[in-house]
Amino acid sequence: MFGKGLVKGLNVTWKEFWSKKFTVQYPDEQHTKPPRFHGKFQLNSDACIACGLCANACPNGVIKIESEKVNKKKYLTKYVMNIQYCLFCGMCVEACNKGALRFTQEHDMSQYFYKDIPLVFVDREAPKPDPETENKEKDDDKSKKAGKAPEKEGQ
Amino acid sequence: MLRTETYTVNFGPQHPATHGVFRVMLNLDGERIVKAEPVCGYLHRGVEKLAENRTYQQVIPYTDRLDYLAAGLQNQGYVETIEKLMEIEVPDRAEYLRIITAELSRIASHVLFVGVYALDIGAFTGFLLCFRERERILDLMEELTGSRMTYSYARIGGVAADAPEGWLDRVEKVVNDLPYYFDIYDDLISGNEIFQARTKYVGYLSAESAVDYSLSGPTLRGSGIDYDLRKAKPYSIYDRFNFEVPLGENGDCFDRYFCRILEMRQSVYILQQAIEQIRETDGPIMAKVPKVLKPPKGEAYHEIESSKGILGYYVVSDGSNKPYRVHVRRPSFVNLGFLDEMCRGGLVADLVAILGSIDIVLGEVDC
Ligand code: SF4
Ligand code: SF4
Repeated sequence: MFGKGLVKGLNVTWKEFWSKKFTVQYPDEQHTKPPRFHGKFQLNSDACIACGLCANACPNGVIKIESEKVNKKKYLTKYVMNIQYCLFCGMCVEACNKGALRFTQEHDMSQYFYKDIPLVFVDREAPKPDPETENKEKDDDKSKKAGKAPEKEGQ
Repeated sequence: MLRTETYTVNFGPQHPATHGVFRVMLNLDGERIVKAEPVCGYLHRGVEKLAENRTYQQVIPYTDRLDYLAAGLQNQGYVETIEKLMEIEVPDRAEYLRIITAELSRIASHVLFVGVYALDIGAFTGFLLCFRERERILDLMEELTGSRMTYSYARIGGVAADAPEGWLDRVEKVVNDLPYYFDIYDDLISGNEIFQARTKYVGYLSAESAVDYSLSGPTLRGSGIDYDLRKAKPYSIYDRFNFEVPLGENGDCFDRYFCRILEMRQSVYILQQAIEQIRETDGPIMAKVPKVLKPPKGEAYHEIESSKGILGYYVVSDGSNKPYRVHVRRPSFVNLGFLDEMCRGGLVADLVAILGSIDIVLGEVDC
């Protein structure tokens, strides 16, 4: 009989009309994101040993690392991620065996200006290789970084 | 003497019914199609060329971007090719995790097809309805891989991470719910008279020409040819599962559409068996592979049954840590070859129905 399918379809519509709503009013409400979510990156610059494994693992050359030798140890002076080229594949996070680089749940990374896109995690001078002043310099660095952090994140 | 003349119309590249940026040059005689010439390349990114400059592992994220609607299958095809080249044995648990992601990807892709096809035919409700189920699958994939569409989950020799706690239970729940949704599709879309009038006996594809043009996937099986790589040449561990290969009879748009609905039901069976079996399979998720992969000189070709058809990867190694050449046999691209003959004599509105029924993804067509 012609029209049987249409009636069946309307029946579905009628049932769905009374079912639970599942849309989320986005900016006000948000879905919770799973722990593995590939969001914005976070670098623990104290744990990072500037080994460059993450930069080598990246297929798109997103990560730029600079380091200097201080007291026979590598000192990270620059860590920049040009995330406009990032595929969010997670190869870098997987490659880091110090657990220094990780994903966060944050997902809104869009910016108004192109220059604000790169994530500048570390941009600092290497301390003088004098053992006495080294500790003091490090503390200075830390406080400097703490003050600057919000501005650099570009929020 | 009165005579009619043909004229040329561009369909696309910016047309929603082409599912991306794809252009068909139509030669029309009134409303009837005389010739339909597909023009592709608007989304060409040179993935094959990019792969020559990346190490073997680094190519994986690029395979996601081919058929981004079923990235799990794309990853699987690539890594299995390299494993064939290097003769790596993959641990059982990793194989199961791959099968689960692959079949979930297949369902996610087919569900989207059903929705988009309904939209092509003119039913907007169907489009939004199908996103609900797709979202549930994507949520699961996000939990496992961290990404919703471009998973990059398979690794050469295994998978990136084991399933988080309770994930398998959640997959099982979604999988058991799915047949209920497929019934809704049948009621709302497949049984709809308007939908049937638009798709039945439209875009006829005979079994012989389907084979001659080396079409594959549901496009081929809609014409009644029983050829599914999962059954015909079982790769990975597909020989451990019981399932059937649904076939069409008439080779028209409706059969191609309905084949996919039936295929999703079979995927549900496979998933149920896979979940049951993985629970009894413990062990590592990565084989012992060196950090720097240098496959021996040589070449390998491996194909899998992707959601669109036979997806093949051809990799040539020159002994270094980067592939010398990667070629991808993309089912969407090959399936498009028959578009012209399917459209001939049909109406312009039929073109939308036919193009939709082939289920192309432009990322894969243009590569
Ligand atoms: S997520 Fe992938 S593309 Fe992005 S920085 Fe890490 S390795 Fe590179
Ligand atoms: S791999 Fe880890 S420790 Fe090494 S440079 Fe990258 S973030 Fe730092």
